[in-house]
Amino acid sequence: MSCFASLHGRRTGAGKTPAILSHGFGTDQDAWSALRPWFEERFDVISFDLAGCGPEGAESYDFDRHGSMFGYADDLIEIIDELGVQNCVYVGHSMSSMIGAAAACARPELFATLVLIGASPRYLNDGDYVGGFEQDGLDELFKSMAANFQAWVAGFAPMVVGVDDGEAIADFSRTLFQMRPDVALNTSRTIFGSDMRDTARRVPTPVHLIQTASDVAVPLQVGKWLEATIPNATLDVIDASGHLPHMTAPEEVLRIFERRLTGLLS
Amino acid sequence: MIPSSIEALYELCGFARVACEADLVIALEVDGAGRASPVASSPPHDFSCFNLARSGVFDTKWSAIPVTANAFRLPTAVVHALPDMPVSLLFVPAPVEHAPQSGLLLLWTQPPSPAPLVEHVRLLASSIASTLTSRREAVRQVAMRDQFNDLLESVPSGIVLFDGDGQSAMINERAAGLLACSPGFHRASELVAPMRALRERCDNHAELEAAYASQVRNVHYAAIQHWVLGDRTYEVDTHPVSGDGQHGRIWLFTDVTAELRIAAKLRGLAQSDPLTGLPNRRHFEERSAQILTAAGTAGRTVALLMVDVDHFKQINDTHGHPVGDAVLKAVARRCRDVLRDQDLFARFGGEEFIALLTLATSDETRVIAERLRGAIAETSVVVGDLSIGVTASIGAATDIPMNSAISGILEPLIAKADAALYRAKQGGRNCVIVADGPA
Repeated sequence: MSCFASLHGRRTGAGKTPAILSHGFGTDQDAWSALRPWFEERFDVISFDLAGCGPEGAESYDFDRHGSMFGYADDLIEIIDELGVQNCVYVGHSMSSMIGAAAACARPELFATLVLIGASPRYLNDGDYVGGFEQDGLDELFKSMAANFQAWVAGFAPMVVGVDDGEAIADFSRTLFQMRPDVALNTSRTIFGSDMRDTARRVPTPVHLIQTASDVAVPLQVGKWLEATIPNATLDVIDASGHLPHMTAPEEVLRIFERRLTGLLS
Repeated sequence: MIPSSIEALYELCGFARVACEADLVIALEVDGAGRASPVASSPPHDFSCFNLARSGVFDTKWSAIPVTANAFRLPTAVVHALPDMPVSLLFVPAPVEHAPQSGLLLLWTQPPSPAPLVEHVRLLASSIASTLTSRREAVRQVAMRDQFNDLLESVPSGIVLFDGDGQSAMINERAAGLLACSPGFHRASELVAPMRALRERCDNHAELEAAYASQVRNVHYAAIQHWVLGDRTYEVDTHPVSGDGQHGRIWLFTDVTAELRIAAKLRGLAQSDPLTGLPNRRHFEERSAQILTAAGTAGRTVALLMVDVDHFKQINDTHGHPVGDAVLKAVARRCRDVLRDQDLFARFGGEEFIALLTLATSDETRVIAERLRGAIAETSVVVGDLSIGVTASIGAATDIPMNSAISGILEPLIAKADAALYRAKQGGRNCVIVADGPA
């Protein structure tokens, strides 16, 4: 079974230029439904569920391979090679941001540009670097996740959505619950334990960063650090809150896409 | 063991990198499906696992010469471990049984100047393979030891394990608690005193000493004994490892207090009549055999009494079953109070009770039966506001059991007492009839 099929890949749209939509932790490819029509009018849209996510996600998850962000990057490259596309527009949310960046470092010819929503190369504070989290806080998070996943989701989902949007919270909770708790725990350990700052320094592809003004997972400093560190990057801070603006403020996000991506259409 | 084989792999990687002027050398353990675990590298790097099945590495016939890297699909983790994009690479297969695609991966970010030693790097293959194998074995040993320790601690028993050499021993947490010493490894001699002290603290230590003393010279002995320590009882199972004392000896201490309590409770429930608390009919039959045997041995007389409450159906019909039940409980209590502790008294069914007594002579039978009848009839039974006069008819029979013929005694005795009871009912109730002569 191909990697694309095993990750429930979908390919739709009327355009020629490939656009890959890769979702973040706790969601699945349905997270793009508000933006997808805009992409389908303009691009050849490719989406899939990250390993461990989506319905029956545990079947695609390998605790060794996906114990690091690079395992996901290998999956992404495998899908692109399977589909035989090149020069694609890559849109990654949350954990998929640094997955795309890692893939672009290894295979620059596959990516024309990266659009990264709510990206963070490292969540833990480190000296002058502000990631927004301390190890104690993360240990607490993992502990409550392991103790009672259901209760943890009930608290985590509204915090991450960050706006009073019942539908988005319900949706995010639903996809979080879809994950097998041990996979969810291991995935969050992988994300929060990652340090992809070296990757950020090396990204050869132009990068457009999008971030909300108030995101519990990614402080504004992180966006600024990435903008300053990635060799070729822009940062748009949109007038919205929360970690899932593509779900809760799609018009704001689309305005940025209009501005940053229209020139890329072939 | 693990550190040493890992260290050796790091050193081999380091040597290969310097000798070949490579930018990165990774020792890879790769299974048949291409799943690769980077075991060591130079420079040292914290790698996660990746898959090389579609990388092209295993589809290449490797010689001693590096080839250009752009034909390969290298894992992103490998690319990131290099300061720049790889330009050429070389793979030195070092297959091992458990991971047939293992080997050493060398990468260069500049076209390699023909370092004189590159063509000899293949000579490291057998060292890499044997080190991977010994590392695997060490990992397996540690995993087994961890599993064994986990097992030792998850078994709900104290475990004391003496090695076959008689020198060393190992105890788990629970055993450590019992023996008041630390868990883990000990010299065998250190555990002898705590083991003896524990046994001497037992309420039944004399019995245990005797049981174990007889086995003291037998290295293969196996025994299961109950050690009673105050209100707790331990089932202590000792046996030679794999049935051979030369291999060592294991002692298992399992707290069976709760099980014994439950078993006693269940036995009690199975043996008694829930309404009166008296033994039930089945238990009467079991116990009567003991009484008959003892009487047979001592040459004494046994008497069997059938006690039946008069007009009981009428009591039930008039006042209802709860009152009938209260009457039966009162009758049971009054009879039990009159009888001696060693007398067996049971509910035989419905409103009928049965007693089996051992007597010096058969003449005492009537006296005891009359005492029972009198105790039942003496005062009314009070239930709530009701005061109910109760009487019973009693039929009795006696016998002198012979040692050899115990088993056939009870039934004819019951039949004779039953016939006497029938006559007592016919004779106007509230009276005693004793059948003539032994059955």
